[in-house]
Amino acid sequence: MRGLVLAIVVLGLVAGCGGGGDEGSGGGEEGATEACGAAPAAMSGQPQLPDGFPTPDGVTYTGEEEAGPSRIVEGYREGSLEDAFEAYKSAFPDAGYTVTKDEKEEDDAEVNFEGGSSTGQVKLIQECSDRTSVAITIRPE
Amino acid sequence: MLVVAAGCGGSDPGTVQTLTLVVNAPFSTSPYVGETIARGVELGVSSAGQIDTDNGSYRLQVRRLDNALSPREAIANVRRAAADGAVAIVDEGTGVDASWRIAQDAKIPLAITYQGGSGLVDAETRPNVFRIAPTDRGIAFRLAEYLIPKGLRVAILTDDSGYGEEGRAALAKSFGSNPESVAIRLRLPVAAQDLSPQVLQARRAGASALLVWARPATIANVLTAARSRRWNVPLYTPPSGADPLVRQQLADQPDWIDGLVFASGRMTAELGPQAWERFEAQFEGRYGPDRVGVRTAEGDEVVQPPEYAMYSYDFVNVLAAALRQAGDPKDREAVLDALNQVTVRGANGDERGFNLSNHEGVVDDDVYFARFRDMTFSPVNDDPLSSTLPMINQLR
Repeated sequence: MRGLVLAIVVLGLVAGCGGGGDEGSGGGEEGATEACGAAPAAMSGQPQLPDGFPTPDGVTYTGEEEAGPSRIVEGYREGSLEDAFEAYKSAFPDAGYTVTKDEKEEDDAEVNFEGGSSTGQVKLIQECSDRTSVAITIRPE
Repeated sequence: MLVVAAGCGGSDPGTVQTLTLVVNAPFSTSPYVGETIARGVELGVSSAGQIDTDNGSYRLQVRRLDNALSPREAIANVRRAAADGAVAIVDEGTGVDASWRIAQDAKIPLAITYQGGSGLVDAETRPNVFRIAPTDRGIAFRLAEYLIPKGLRVAILTDDSGYGEEGRAALAKSFGSNPESVAIRLRLPVAAQDLSPQVLQARRAGASALLVWARPATIANVLTAARSRRWNVPLYTPPSGADPLVRQQLADQPDWIDGLVFASGRMTAELGPQAWERFEAQFEGRYGPDRVGVRTAEGDEVVQPPEYAMYSYDFVNVLAAALRQAGDPKDREAVLDALNQVTVRGANGDERGFNLSNHEGVVDDDVYFARFRDMTFSPVNDDPLSSTLPMINQLR
């Protein structure tokens, strides 16, 4: 069900920034600017992450689920999308992981990784003015 | 040595030299695949226009070579491309396990824009091989992530073509840790028209879904075998399920295709469908709509979106950026180095580019699922990514 909630959030953001307006850099609206409501509750315990997987400062995990062979870990980070994006990009090499591809747009960003006998993606979405959602998909190598 | 157009080869300032870009694809045996790759390349060349570098101005010209899905033909074509001094090869993927070395010896970049086989691309051991197309690994894992949580007992059917064998290997990994989800694994003879025995075997094994990783004709034959016996088992496929040939082969039984779900790379980016729509309009403006040859129940003509053409188009634009950055297209090492550094905005708005550790242009998480109904497909609504994607217009 968390996946569905994430999908709805993504849909809302896409709908909010599409709108037939100019796309690409500089032409659209600002990122999500609404004030943040209460933060989701942190999960009890720690999620199952690959060996040495980095957790940048300020990240709170809220849940995890299995999807067949893969695992999806969800959470959030207080602060901007830009900061979260840069935090993951720098944390992976420090942890011995490789960033295979990264991309940042206005309201969302992805950092794809390889390491710890796994591959996957950290998907970041600016949920509101000062919070960025984090969804980590982890696949066995 | 580069191919220089007769009469334009001098070093006079202002002359425009020509670089040959070879398309190695199955024009005779799989015309849809061959044409879509070549058209994407041609459109990309047109979009790239004149390429001004520190060492002069260049234009790309396209040369089509038919690999007939034969590794031997494909290898011979790469030899020819090397002998002719091609600047790059855009390849469907057949025979690359051998042909990449020939290209490597000639320092020619080889870009796969169709096949997704896991071993074909390795930035470390095959530094001249690049790919912009969904990988088999990505498709196989996304299928496992989508199907296993549904609690289905999946019959994994692969044909004995190279495409099917690559799929079999990819699915072995993605379903390997969940054996309880697999009812049976069967290999289908690609030449067999009647697949009733295999489909019956899957049914008897208790399958509640068929996952068919095979060429389009085999997928149509599996559908025929199942539906003609009124077995309405859900059927899932990789991108080959969306090949027009499946619908053409079953044109007189359109309801047999209803419900088929295939996995493929998303056509539109997070920013929305506008960039894709511009690319599609550009493609149709040049080639006309790619007619599938079937109609909906209401009589509308069905067309195929230029999905795989987009990947070839994007590679040409990455190549053009690399040629500019290299400064001298004759410096082949510099061109290969530049291909690891440049990034361009792709046809759908996503970034396309490579780096030293990754030569894959499409990430696994960009694989989505779509379901057929009335000869057209739309993204499913029970997958988080797919449910956010718009339906691409397929009617004319």
